[in-house]
Amino acid sequence: MRTKIRRKNELKAWLFLLPALLLAALFWWYPALTGFVQSFLTVNRNGDVTGFAGLSNFRLLFSDKAFLNSLRVTLTFVLLFVPANTFLTLLAASMTRRKNRFSSIPEYVFFAPVAVSLSAYSLLMRELFRGSASVINRLTGLSGGWITTPAGAMATLVILGIFLDFGLDYILLMSAFRSIDRNVVEAARMDGAGGWRLFFHIELPMIKETVMVTVFLALKDALLISAPIIILTEGGPFRSTETVMFYYYIEAFKSGNRAVQNALSALVLTLAAIAMVIYTNTRRKRPWDR
Amino acid sequence: MGPVRRPFDTFKFILRKVVLAILALVIAFPILYMFSSSLFSARDFGNLALLPSSPRWSNYTRVFALRDFGIQLVNSIGTALLAAAIRTTVIILAAFALTHLNFRGRGLVLSLLVMTLFVPQEAILYQNYRTVATLGLLDSWAGIIATSLFSAAQMLLLMGSFIAVGRDPYDAARMDGATDIRYIRSVLIPLSTPAILTVLVQTLITVFNGYLWPLLVTNRPRTRTIQTGLTMLGFAESGETGAQMAAIVVITLPFLILLAFAKKKIENALIRK
Repeated sequence: MRTKIRRKNELKAWLFLLPALLLAALFWWYPALTGFVQSFLTVNRNGDVTGFAGLSNFRLLFSDKAFLNSLRVTLTFVLLFVPANTFLTLLAASMTRRKNRFSSIPEYVFFAPVAVSLSAYSLLMRELFRGSASVINRLTGLSGGWITTPAGAMATLVILGIFLDFGLDYILLMSAFRSIDRNVVEAARMDGAGGWRLFFHIELPMIKETVMVTVFLALKDALLISAPIIILTEGGPFRSTETVMFYYYIEAFKSGNRAVQNALSALVLTLAAIAMVIYTNTRRKRPWDR
Repeated sequence: MGPVRRPFDTFKFILRKVVLAILALVIAFPILYMFSSSLFSARDFGNLALLPSSPRWSNYTRVFALRDFGIQLVNSIGTALLAAAIRTTVIILAAFALTHLNFRGRGLVLSLLVMTLFVPQEAILYQNYRTVATLGLLDSWAGIIATSLFSAAQMLLLMGSFIAVGRDPYDAARMDGATDIRYIRSVLIPLSTPAILTVLVQTLITVFNGYLWPLLVTNRPRTRTIQTGLTMLGFAESGETGAQMAAIVVITLPFLILLAFAKKKIENALIRK
């Protein structure tokens, strides 16, 4: 009798989990495995396997100058974007961390970027930063060529990236500040801590976990950026904004280069797995054992 | 005794407000420019204007006169709603089973699902494109939403919320002879509203705003979503940037309004008291 109920319960549990498992298998596990396996095989344009390739796909990838350039571009983007993004979102969150009568206005402004889509922001920035005669230059008195020059295009891409991530990072950080136990802050204040000291020695360390999450999200987005580039610069001028994933998009969907596409797929998956292992190990608590 | 205010404190207070105002203005600027420039004439764009010389409302009529714009808007809204409904259902069921039911292999299933977080969709774009093409789902709503129907991160969010509800209401409901589905519907969902609402809103926005995936799986103007269509309306090429901006306003404004209402709820879901 007991085992019968138990078996019924088990069956029910699997039924509830079936849709999630099917989707995970079809759109995550199966493509990841085939990408990984095929990176060691020769595959023709139609996707049929024609032989064993060993490491030649990877050799092909690393001998492509365009790929090496895309590595350099991606690294530059990460180094510019991640610190700028972290600083600005922390600044916005820390300045609105205390609730008052007027705080809901800046809160809404900082939250609003989540409502603006990637293509909308990309088109807006393309217009605002369109060249030396642009609205931004008129407002700031600068004279840069923005998206028409290699350095300017990178700067515009960094600014676009900040807008794309700002809303979500802000809400995470701001909620973390407000989740801090008031008693701890009050006690520190009683002990004479105030202003900067209170912020840097008490409040900021208490939201360290959330800051880590936003840095990690920024890092992930920066390493994988491709869609905004398709709209903003198409990789140019002179491949100056051709990131690794933009290069993947071009090779996989425009050139039909299966060797490079599969090798890159396997490489990114391996790096992602390593990154996730490091990330979960640096966090004392795993997200699912709350 | 309250803290004593010194002149330096007042200075710092003002400085803080000024920095806050500047940052808010910078963040709001592209959105403000979007509204303003949606009423620009071609000349206003040439003059690098900030406000329209005279509001050109015809930019909006130009947008709605495009046949594909309406269809693409419907495609976007339809796929976003459908994906949000399916994804939320899928992860509610999974999160319930993982938090409330005892069964062998629970740990394995949990790791298998959570480990999808290790697999960025961007790296398997081509393989997923092949799968969707093989299933004959190109140029269809099903193809557009196929890769958005599950999210391990959101499942973990719901599991956290379900654990917070505790087991007592479940045991009580079982004693009264309620089925699991009934318990989920009339107890678990109402008690986890903030988390579920977060999942729904997040999914709606993500799918509605999707760009690269819909671009890949749709080829005909009538099957595209508005986000991919937006870059192909042809306004920019024909010098009608004002109409382009008007199109952006039309698809952004509803979300700005939705956000104003959902903001409080999303904060409640994230702020731990």
